[in-house]
Amino acid sequence: MFPAWSNGSSVLADATDHMEQVLALVSGCDGTQLVSSAAEGYLFSRIDGATPWRLLREIGGIPPEEVDACLARWLGEGWLEVVGGADASTESASETASESDAEANQAPPVDAAEAPPAAPVSIDESVLDEALEIDLDVQRRILEYEASLGRPYHELLGVQPGAQPKDVKRAYFKLSKEFHPDRYFRKEIGNYGERLDRIFKKVLEAHEILSDPELCQVQNQPAESAPEASPVDAAAVPESPAAGTTPDAEARPAKPRPLTKLERLKQRMPFKINHAAIAARRAQADEIFRAAQTSQQAGRLQEAEASIRIAISFDPGRSEFKEALGSLKIAAAGARAANLLAKPSDRMSDSELFEALRLLEDVLPYRPHDPELNERAGRICLRLEKWDEAREYIETLLIRQPESASAHTMLGRIHKEQGDLDEAVSCFERALKFDEEDLEARRALAAVRIGARDAARGGETS
Amino acid sequence: MSRVIGIDLGTTNSCVSVVENGQSTVIPNSGGYKTTPSMFGISQDGKRLVGHLAKRQAITNARNTIFAAKRLIGRRFDDPEVQKSIDLSPYEIVRGPNDDPRIKVGGKTFTCPEISGIILREMKRVAEEYLSETVQEAVITVPAYFNDTQRQCTKDAGKIAGLEVLRIINEPTAAALSYGMNRQGDEKIAVYDLGGGTFDISILEMSDGVIEVLATSGNTFLGGEDFDRRIVQHLVEWFEETEDMDLRGDTMALQRLKDASEKAKCDLSMRDVVEINLPFIASDAEGPRHLNYELTRENLENLVHDVVEGTLKSVEQCCVDAGVQAQDIDQVVLVGGQTRMPLVQKRVTEYFGKRPHKGVNPDEVVGLGAAVQAAALLDNDNDMLLLDVTPLSLGIGTYGGHFARLIERNTTVPVSKGHIFTTTRDDQSAVKIRVLQGESDMAAENDLLGEFVLSGIRPAPKGEPEIEVSFDIDANGIVSVSARDLATGKEQSITVSSTGTLSDSEIDEIIQEHDLYEVQLKD
Repeated sequence: MFPAWSNGSSVLADATDHMEQVLALVSGCDGTQLVSSAAEGYLFSRIDGATPWRLLREIGGIPPEEVDACLARWLGEGWLEVVGGADASTESASETASESDAEANQAPPVDAAEAPPAAPVSIDESVLDEALEIDLDVQRRILEYEASLGRPYHELLGVQPGAQPKDVKRAYFKLSKEFHPDRYFRKEIGNYGERLDRIFKKVLEAHEILSDPELCQVQNQPAESAPEASPVDAAAVPESPAAGTTPDAEARPAKPRPLTKLERLKQRMPFKINHAAIAARRAQADEIFRAAQTSQQAGRLQEAEASIRIAISFDPGRSEFKEALGSLKIAAAGARAANLLAKPSDRMSDSELFEALRLLEDVLPYRPHDPELNERAGRICLRLEKWDEAREYIETLLIRQPESASAHTMLGRIHKEQGDLDEAVSCFERALKFDEEDLEARRALAAVRIGARDAARGGETS
Repeated sequence: MSRVIGIDLGTTNSCVSVVENGQSTVIPNSGGYKTTPSMFGISQDGKRLVGHLAKRQAITNARNTIFAAKRLIGRRFDDPEVQKSIDLSPYEIVRGPNDDPRIKVGGKTFTCPEISGIILREMKRVAEEYLSETVQEAVITVPAYFNDTQRQCTKDAGKIAGLEVLRIINEPTAAALSYGMNRQGDEKIAVYDLGGGTFDISILEMSDGVIEVLATSGNTFLGGEDFDRRIVQHLVEWFEETEDMDLRGDTMALQRLKDASEKAKCDLSMRDVVEINLPFIASDAEGPRHLNYELTRENLENLVHDVVEGTLKSVEQCCVDAGVQAQDIDQVVLVGGQTRMPLVQKRVTEYFGKRPHKGVNPDEVVGLGAAVQAAALLDNDNDMLLLDVTPLSLGIGTYGGHFARLIERNTTVPVSKGHIFTTTRDDQSAVKIRVLQGESDMAAENDLLGEFVLSGIRPAPKGEPEIEVSFDIDANGIVSVSARDLATGKEQSITVSSTGTLSDSEIDEIIQEHDLYEVQLKD
């Protein structure tokens, strides 16, 4: 299936020679599919068609052996080409691939459970390690499977194109049992951990796409024509076979054409949102919310609150639900809250103040910018001498009502209490600018000035 | 190799289990009970009491007996849930230095992971006594809605208890594991979990020992306590009508009503009618008043009908998310005490068109499942595999304060996903990647896990540069995020380490202190 790989490993064996090889990306290859770690990404970014293998091993951040393994793998999977004279091998790769795929086609893997890797893949035996807590046979299997991750999704899972979701699922479960990292939890398995990780993610992706009819349609196009496609084409250009491409090896271009930007963006399929489910969720949230409003109008506040909360849990992003819950909470708190909130804060007892503040704190998260609520909370905090909190509320209020004289006055009082007299004076002056009649500001300003004068006098006398 | 236990660290009760000879068993404590109250207290003479001993003194020494600490763990002090607990709890909850709630009993302040740690230590002790060997590792369950911080705090609690936590798994998943053990063939399972304060519904698929979570839905605001509240509300209204007296402002009376309502609710699962009798519930100028009311099952069912229907709405949504029909579900597993209510069982049966599975005890099934997962991870003979999922959506903050989801919640891990983003200004040279977790579409409403800047983007018109952001979650749930400028190949990445409310040094201090305490006990 992957003669290119055996090419790669024979190159590997000839250690002196391949070190001088210069590698380049096959056009259209962007690496999303093959880079699975930051280190690999870094290595990938250094492949520029000018740097020889030898220097790539020295880029740092990734050990030389891993560089070798990575490059050999990418080369094997057909993502890279050797600059100068590599075309021939790519050509032969695609031809041999079609042969072996044709074979596979004659004896299609009917039962997912029985599907073996499509063709023998030669692996680098030197990676096998007897010391690890993982059988050599299993190691071989992992290496073989990893080497062929570039196959079309349905081949990865060992199912036929257009397989039933049930079969896809069964194949996915079976492969999970083989390759899920948890199978080797706490076992000494060397770098097989990362390999398993890589494999499982790919299997997961294959399952996700094959079990979604919509995604499957897009992805399956190359899969259907896979027999004549080289692995390079199949993996890198999921959407390239345009209508009219005949299932004929010669008719295909030897190299994939460069992708348009849109195609490349589309290729990053894994970013998937289940729009149908979200739409259903939203519709249901709306319905529940309407039921809540009916309950609220009928005076069944508890029921309404429960319903709104359910609506929020269905669609947590909707601010109108949260606002409705806020106003409902004010309503549900009943006459007591209304009385408390209506009473001027100057005439409240301390316990009433605390209760009112708690009610407000309960409601404010739903209407964080409501000027009236912020003003009231600010006033109460002032009475309770919680200066920092008061300041926060009033500054929020000022964002909404920058010309509120009373807010500036309150801010001035806070600054005064916190000892910043200059700032306090400018606050009071601002308040008077917006409302000349603001008695509180006038008095406070006078008091500060008198205080300052007295202090100055005191300073002089002493 | 020492054995690994599974612990269901519940809000009210905890339960420890182990897998022995291929069978999962609940380990009874020395009193013979299969569950242990999640309570910790300090007695009048300064002794530390856990479990049943703590519960016994709860009535006489309420101020120094801590219960339901799970409601507080991993939350901020200002969290509404914490504020609610402050109102309802007889013990004192104070603001800790990390803005976390802490509990003051017996003149000492305890952090929440510490309280949970004390309870886990007790469960560990129960297991060690039964197995006659030391136990060092455990799998612990948490509610499906727990966020990263809450999970990390639970891990910290394990550490304080001297346990290495192999995994934290979701309660409904654990229930499914327990059900699925030693079962062959393909099945779709629904786990309907109606606990004290929350409702969870999970749909899972199982085949030859592999279990996959298809979808989870639920409502963190809805639970057994809502049932109690409805009864209280009803009684208050009735009392107002007949006696013309408002009990709403009387906290003492309300507490008594709440206790009586909960008891009546439980009794009505077995009987058709109960009498609620509360003498001297209030008094006025005319003397003391008594409350005496006969509550029938039908009565109760009318009161809570819409709550039960509300849970079924979540069930319906969960089916949509999972892409299954109600009749496709092969087995329904009930979890949580509230599912003992006949109305709940009836409606669930009607909804799925089949009777819930009878073979599991709703109080023990979660703990058993935790033990099954422990065995699945470490025992070579155990063939179970849980395809676990991420509990919350992950993504980044984008232009306009929106949240771009890259990994949706309930995605199987390990997983990698990526997406292309671009710049919003001409010649923008850097982008800030803010890694967020949560379900809101607004970035600000989600939790910030970490952030980094990718700079050195080649000057270009806005919308032109392509920046690939990839998310990667490994099998242990560790998240790493990288951003790469596709034009220059420049890359930046971070590994997001979840943090609890305590620092490592704080945890070490607590462990040392508790070791000291153990030594003191033996003196």
